[in-house]
Amino acid sequence: MAGLRKRFRWVALALVALAVGVATLFPAQAAAALKLPLLAVYSVSRMVAAYLLALVFAVAYGTTAATNKRAAVVMLPLLDVLQSIPILGFFPAALVFFVSTFQGSPVGLEVAVVFLIFTSMAWNMAFGVYESLSTIPHDLEDAAASFGVRDWLRFRRLALPAVVPKLVYNSILSWTNGWFFLVASEVFTAYGATYARPGLGAFIADAGQAGDYASILIGIGALAAVVLALDTFVWRPLSVWAERFKVEAVPGREVPHAPGLYQRLQWLPRFPRMRAWLGARTRPILDKYDRASARLDRVYKGHATAMRAVRRLDLVLFLAVFVLVVGAGLLGLAGLLLRPLPPGAADIPAATALSFARLGLAYVLALAWTIPVAAWIGRSERASRFLTPALEVFASIPATALLPLILGFSIAVASGVGHEAGLAALLIALFSMQWYLLFNLVAGVRGIPGDLEEAARSFGLRGLTYWRRVLLPAMVPSLLTGSITAWGAGWNALIVSEYLPFHGRLYEVEGIGALMDRATFGVPPAMQPNAELLFLSIVAMIVVVLLMNKLLWHPLFRRASMRFRMEA
Amino acid sequence: MPKPPHGVGRPVALRPVDVHPIGKVSLSQIVGLAEAVDEMGGEADVAVIAGEVDMDVDRLGPIVSAAEFLGMMSVDGGNLRLTDLSRKVLGASVRGRKAIFRDIVKDVPVFRQTAEMARAKGRPLTRQEVLDAIATRVGSHAAEDVFQALLYWGRYCELVSYDSRSELLTPRTPAK
Amino acid sequence: MVDPPPLLDVRDVSRSHFENGKEFKVLERVKFELAERDFACIVGPSGCGKSTLLRIIVGLDNPTSGEVLFEGAPITPENPQVAMVFQSFALFPWLTVQQNVEIGLEARRVPPGERRTVATEFIEAVGLTGFENAFPRELSGGMKQRVGIARALAIEPVLLCMDEPFSSLDALTAQSLRDEILQLWSDPALPPRAVLMVTHSIEEAVYLADRVLVLCHRPGKLVAELEIDLPRPRNRKEPEFYGWVDEIYGLIV
Repeated sequence: MAGLRKRFRWVALALVALAVGVATLFPAQAAAALKLPLLAVYSVSRMVAAYLLALVFAVAYGTTAATNKRAAVVMLPLLDVLQSIPILGFFPAALVFFVSTFQGSPVGLEVAVVFLIFTSMAWNMAFGVYESLSTIPHDLEDAAASFGVRDWLRFRRLALPAVVPKLVYNSILSWTNGWFFLVASEVFTAYGATYARPGLGAFIADAGQAGDYASILIGIGALAAVVLALDTFVWRPLSVWAERFKVEAVPGREVPHAPGLYQRLQWLPRFPRMRAWLGARTRPILDKYDRASARLDRVYKGHATAMRAVRRLDLVLFLAVFVLVVGAGLLGLAGLLLRPLPPGAADIPAATALSFARLGLAYVLALAWTIPVAAWIGRSERASRFLTPALEVFASIPATALLPLILGFSIAVASGVGHEAGLAALLIALFSMQWYLLFNLVAGVRGIPGDLEEAARSFGLRGLTYWRRVLLPAMVPSLLTGSITAWGAGWNALIVSEYLPFHGRLYEVEGIGALMDRATFGVPPAMQPNAELLFLSIVAMIVVVLLMNKLLWHPLFRRASMRFRMEA
Repeated sequence: MPKPPHGVGRPVALRPVDVHPIGKVSLSQIVGLAEAVDEMGGEADVAVIAGEVDMDVDRLGPIVSAAEFLGMMSVDGGNLRLTDLSRKVLGASVRGRKAIFRDIVKDVPVFRQTAEMARAKGRPLTRQEVLDAIATRVGSHAAEDVFQALLYWGRYCELVSYDSRSELLTPRTPAK
Repeated sequence: MVDPPPLLDVRDVSRSHFENGKEFKVLERVKFELAERDFACIVGPSGCGKSTLLRIIVGLDNPTSGEVLFEGAPITPENPQVAMVFQSFALFPWLTVQQNVEIGLEARRVPPGERRTVATEFIEAVGLTGFENAFPRELSGGMKQRVGIARALAIEPVLLCMDEPFSSLDALTAQSLRDEILQLWSDPALPPRAVLMVTHSIEEAVYLADRVLVLCHRPGKLVAELEIDLPRPRNRKEPEFYGWVDEIYGLIV
């Protein structure tokens, strides 16, 4: 443990040294970079605002779906659809909407950015809340009911503990998503105008446009530092705290952790004595909290009927809004279908197929390196200790922040062949997808029970046989989980990666992302945005994502759960 | 393993292997076994008992060993017999039983060792420290089992207090 | 002078499920009474609705027809006079033993100091002193059920209901706990004033109960009420014990 901390310290020091080195070599940029802490504060504030909104939404939505069976019939599929909407697809429309509502003041932009991040966080958190609440064991609910545990006490003792583990896990996932979209949205060009708010993403994008690689590196370094600082000081302690609420299925056996990102947070040391000291200090506070809760109980109880009425009103309003929105959408769609299709609509199927192929290729490339590396890391303590810190640092940088670097690299490498844009698009998709795959796979390999390993070894299973019989089957469920997330990230990445204005030139490829961007920004020389085409493209993408989920991922997941379960 | 003299319930301090036999067995199981033998008149064959309680002789084995270790039962071949101690236990109240077992358990070497270690350090012990100390006596393989037994019997007899979140172990003197 | 109302009065309780327009009767016109110091067991084949009956009495479920009166008054949902012990223990995994035992008191807004004292008393009564700060995952099955019992007793209920409380435990632990229940029951200073237990083991019923209520298979009807007058402690090897077991067995089959 101490060794691990030391190694992490070295990586952090190396990063700082690199940053300092770059700063001394490029003093002009360094001076400009001194405002980075302030920019970091801006960016983090937007994330926090979006997260808090998402949290409130997730708890309200998830609780309603879990407690009201009739509402759940509508709310759950809706969540499915919402999760598959490419966020950057509707961002331009949202941007224009908020900007005009706030009459061009910067507040409108901030609201738009926060809204965008909110939509990237809220849905999976709502799912997490719903799943946690609906899997509370029935006998526990009965026990709570039979002892008169109601309202606020029930929330504190039953609902909240049940929800915390998944909520923390999903929060971490949401923040990772959020960073991606924050960086993508702090500078945004739509309808001929460029909207920008100060922040780390804007800093990197501006440096990218100017071709200022030194500043790009400094900006990326700052972003990585912020992400890692939050990881260390917020998410890890929270995850450790959330441990205590986990219901252990089998006593004494190692509880399999949620795969992927959660696995990344395991190496925080424990500090038992400090916790005991803290415990002693906090006990009087907790006692006071107990008494205050009792008083809150009395207050809350008086409002129980009012709360019920509010919840019912909530539901009615929600249903009304839902019906209106869906109705309007359907009417709009019907109107569109009745009218002659907008120009370019015929391109949609082909563009979608091309993008699909591009993502598929990126997926295969990602698997080609993540499977062996995951197998290595998962089975070798040394490799894990050595590589995990470095990989975590790299993985904390959202792909959107790397855009300028990737594009620069692609230009340098492939401009002779003329395929810079294609290479860049592929690489960006790859970078978006690979970390989800890697960390899930590592968790899958780690999940192989020790005695299975020993049995394999005693039977002399080595090489290809070992891979076929033990390792690959172990990885399959995690592979599927990781793939679903990776493809989701990939579709969003398409929208930023297939159409890249950079340094005065436009790098674009044929694909649905490019189609959407062209529909948003307009094609020169007319520069007229085409809202109908955009709408149809979004619909097409949603349909593809939903089809993939229903026809590919979910059935595969079901079959894999049955065949490749690690329990005897 | 040396057998205790017939009918006497005081074997413990002589054992070279401490706590092992009572590792994975709960007090209820030992008392339940004693009750089952009592119902048969105070003496019974282990196979018959196994049939009565519908448990494998395999599962019964550790419970019988534990009962013997604590002096609750004398084992002769396949024959189980109650001791004076077990009669006392069966007749005692819930609180009374605790006092009886506390007397026996507090002399088990691992408990004495833990208490001394805590006194020497002057602060609660961490789980790792206790595990390491146990491992020097019984090897690291068995240390975890012995630690669990230490926790179970120690807490029951109120000789030990343990906080599983901070993983701190504190010896205690029981309230009378 | 009017007789005081019985502790528990189950009046023609019926319970049915409705599915696709068809009615599935689970319980049919069950009628019995419990008096002070009654230790009653409900036995019957699996699926006869005995657990459903218990849930109705505790207030977790509603009868389709009929009513349940408690000391003359109809029961309210989550009847505060009744406490339940569950087959699967149903402990809150993230609360310590102390907190689990206190939960009923906490729900009744008993202040922290007082509920700590009361809970400690019952933790001691079930022999779990020393484990107050342990979590359920650190406990064996028997100990978990002891926590369940302490939790139920802590609210000082008038009626203690137990739903197959020992069927998740191995035979030796179960036997040990049965005797402890009898010990607790024999102490008049301790709650409850009556016990109603559901079990699928006729032997267990004869071992523990003063009265045995026999339910037949679905739809559950009360086919017999027996008073067992054997002195305690009861020995399962004695012929009288076996006589009772045989008789009840004959009634079920």
